[in-house]
Amino acid sequence: MRVLGIDLGSREVKIVLMEDNKIIQKKKVSTMSFYRNYCNFDGKIIVDLKKLDISHIDKAVSTGYGKNNTDLLLFTPINEIKAHVYGGFYQTGLNDFILLDIGGQDVKIVKVEKGITTDLELNEKCAASCGRYLENMANVLEVSLGEMSKHYENAVELNSTCAVFSESELIGKIAQGVSIESLCSSVNYSLYKRLLPLLSKFRGKKLILTGGVASNIAIKRYLSNNYDEIVSIKEPQFNGAIGCCYYGSKFL
Amino acid sequence: MMKKIGLTTTVPIEVLIAAGYTPVDLNNIFITSDDYMKYIDIAERDGFPRSLCTWIKGIYGACLQNGIKEIVGVVEGDCSNTKALIEVLELRGIKVFPFSFPHSHKLDNVEHEIKNFMNVFNVTIKEVELVRQRLNESRALAKEIDELTYIDNKATGFENHLYQVSSSDFNGNVDDFDVDLKKVICEIKSRKPVVRKLRLGYIGVPPMTSDIYEFVENLNANFVYNEVQREFAFPRANNALDIYHQYYDYTYPYDTDFRILELRKQIGNRKLDGIIHYTQAFCYRAVSDIVLKEKLNIPILNIEGDKSNVLDARTKLRLEAFLDMLLDLKTYSAEDKK
Repeated sequence: MRVLGIDLGSREVKIVLMEDNKIIQKKKVSTMSFYRNYCNFDGKIIVDLKKLDISHIDKAVSTGYGKNNTDLLLFTPINEIKAHVYGGFYQTGLNDFILLDIGGQDVKIVKVEKGITTDLELNEKCAASCGRYLENMANVLEVSLGEMSKHYENAVELNSTCAVFSESELIGKIAQGVSIESLCSSVNYSLYKRLLPLLSKFRGKKLILTGGVASNIAIKRYLSNNYDEIVSIKEPQFNGAIGCCYYGSKFL
Repeated sequence: MMKKIGLTTTVPIEVLIAAGYTPVDLNNIFITSDDYMKYIDIAERDGFPRSLCTWIKGIYGACLQNGIKEIVGVVEGDCSNTKALIEVLELRGIKVFPFSFPHSHKLDNVEHEIKNFMNVFNVTIKEVELVRQRLNESRALAKEIDELTYIDNKATGFENHLYQVSSSDFNGNVDDFDVDLKKVICEIKSRKPVVRKLRLGYIGVPPMTSDIYEFVENLNANFVYNEVQREFAFPRANNALDIYHQYYDYTYPYDTDFRILELRKQIGNRKLDGIIHYTQAFCYRAVSDIVLKEKLNIPILNIEGDKSNVLDARTKLRLEAFLDMLLDLKTYSAEDKK
């Protein structure tokens, strides 16, 4: 059986194809380009599978930002939390965990006990604790995201509530002569600090980290203060799409 | 023509009506107006911060734009923003009668406050009790709508919200209000019950975003309890010995522990599966969420409204995910019982 999963993120669309529960194809497309180049509209959004080079689908499941936005023709929409939890099941084999997904403008945290979601929280109003913040700050520092994510020592405090004000705060620190390495650490640490209020309500032993920010070495390191084990998964960015496939093959 | 007097929240309107006033709930004027955004803009232009509760700004705009010359300002038992709002309104030439729900929440103190209030308006307890008896007939009708929601499953969550919240000022005319309610009750009774899988409670201040009621219905859920709206309608007024007891046995303006006693009762009576706790952005009530989540043994989702009068995509997503989780929990626990 072939199941297609699509996760429509704020920055990128993640696409995974599974055959008999094995991932056989995966790809990422920027969200704008996905809608522009791979979709048609006829009352509902129709995904052009041919252009995506995907065929012979038995089932298709979509997730992303709100049910309405992910209501693609012939796809069954499921909410993001469900998609990520099922992705977590598939990628770790665990039944009890905390899942933290940090995406472009979303942070989600979910508690899973005995295979059931028992609590969840999503960031409200403000996206200053998300991937986009790291991107902006890396731009200000003129370093790559990958380079910035390596640094976790000698962080100085960045206090602004607003991510835009943080940029000028950062420039102020540059002017004070703080080293680039230390500034990289500071950015990572400030994101971690914004996450802390969420984490305190979601205690647990094992943390599964997903989403684009999962590849940030410093964040992982900081998070290991709060959990016994940070469970690494192979495809943190494809977790939602993988969850779509897995959910589809199990329940539809 | 009876003189209008504006309200910033529920106060003993029995006193005002006895004194010949028509109480007008400024919250209701603000939120039901097509110009609701205009009222907010007026307040912001006059210097109210962006990072301030929208209800305060809406009340301000609604008061100035609707020719309200006198208001009752609640200076204790509601938020400190209201206190500051009253000062600005006085600056604009509006006459303010202060009222307090004493923080001590002692019957003696409540009685003292209401007696003061009666003196200010020059009415006797006899006159006030007569009005109270009359209003209690209308309150009984609002209570009937509530029962049609959680017992008969016939009234919708929105109707439950609307008719109870409207009894804060009886839409300015209690006789007309009764006629409307009786008509509505008759129509609701003739319906077939609609049972959805999840029974939800709505707690916190009434929403800016009243589309929330319809939104959850599409996700197999019904609101069968509106906490604060129900308090505004005084469902226990008929059992209250007198006006002092009525406003003593009222959970909105006092401490959270007192509020929790009633919440626990209703969670049980109405067999709730989960609670949506609505708070207004920048409101201290978001802090009460900490206490509520710790003391109430039921899943609670805290959502926040700001300026928009419809739900935004993010809040919809959070609601979807929360209700989806509740559905799964209910399904699994039903299987466990088998």
